[in-house]
Amino acid sequence: MLAEAPHLLVALEQSGLAAAIRQSTWAYPAANVGHILALTLFAGGVVAMDLRLIGAFAAAPPGSVVRPARRVAIAGLLLMLLTGSMLFTAEASHVAMNPVFQIKAGLIALGILNALLAGRRLDGLLVGAPPFEPLPLGIRLAAVLSLAVWLSVAACGRLIAYF
Amino acid sequence: MLRRLMLGLVLVAGSGAGVLAHHGWGSYDASKPITVVGPIETLKYENPHALITVKAADKVWTVTLAPVSRMQARGATADFVAVGKTVSAYGYVSTVTKDEMRAERITVDGKTVEMR
Repeated sequence: MLAEAPHLLVALEQSGLAAAIRQSTWAYPAANVGHILALTLFAGGVVAMDLRLIGAFAAAPPGSVVRPARRVAIAGLLLMLLTGSMLFTAEASHVAMNPVFQIKAGLIALGILNALLAGRRLDGLLVGAPPFEPLPLGIRLAAVLSLAVWLSVAACGRLIAYF
Repeated sequence: MLRRLMLGLVLVAGSGAGVLAHHGWGSYDASKPITVVGPIETLKYENPHALITVKAADKVWTVTLAPVSRMQARGATADFVAVGKTVSAYGYVSTVTKDEMRAERITVDGKTVEMR
């Protein structure tokens, strides 16, 4: 427990739930493994979706790739948030004060904001969009940003242990 | 739903900004290993790493051990590192957290267990 952490996070770390996660032999490692498995699901969905938006797999109508890949990505993200919350809760005050975690949390917020903004515009664009036709520049840039942000989030996640 | 999550993440990101205190596995001085010997005063047999405090001759050290499942697999059960037992912990001093060290191996009752 870090005394200089915000009270809310100290209280979270001292909660019964946090103690239960720490004191179980398997809860913490299970959340850790689940976090990585969810990452593979999430990254797979994000990469397929973003590459199609950028212009790869051009023979496939964009909607036929982007819609199912986005569902996979959202499922992966929700699993990551669930397992990540368990890992965070167990060590809330330490993790929150970690500079790399702070960067990671900011990047996650940026990635979700980007996805919400681009996703709103995308829904209309995908209806009947033909193959081989580039999508608007703004959408392609959002997809490039998405790839950069989410890969950075993954790198930050691993780097928390080293700072 | 997503928007609420996003707001939460922004709050988490903002709330701790600017303070660098932390102990990660990179922040131990492996060039000057030390051995801490003394009775175990407290035990937290918890994940992600078990923790003991040891009343050594100079001061009370916080000694970071290994994940619980690894400790159990190697015979370092909660009884093995129970409060009151005398432990010898060889390891590295934290460069970040005062009076904390990470054990490479510990010896209790003549039995040595590797921590990594």
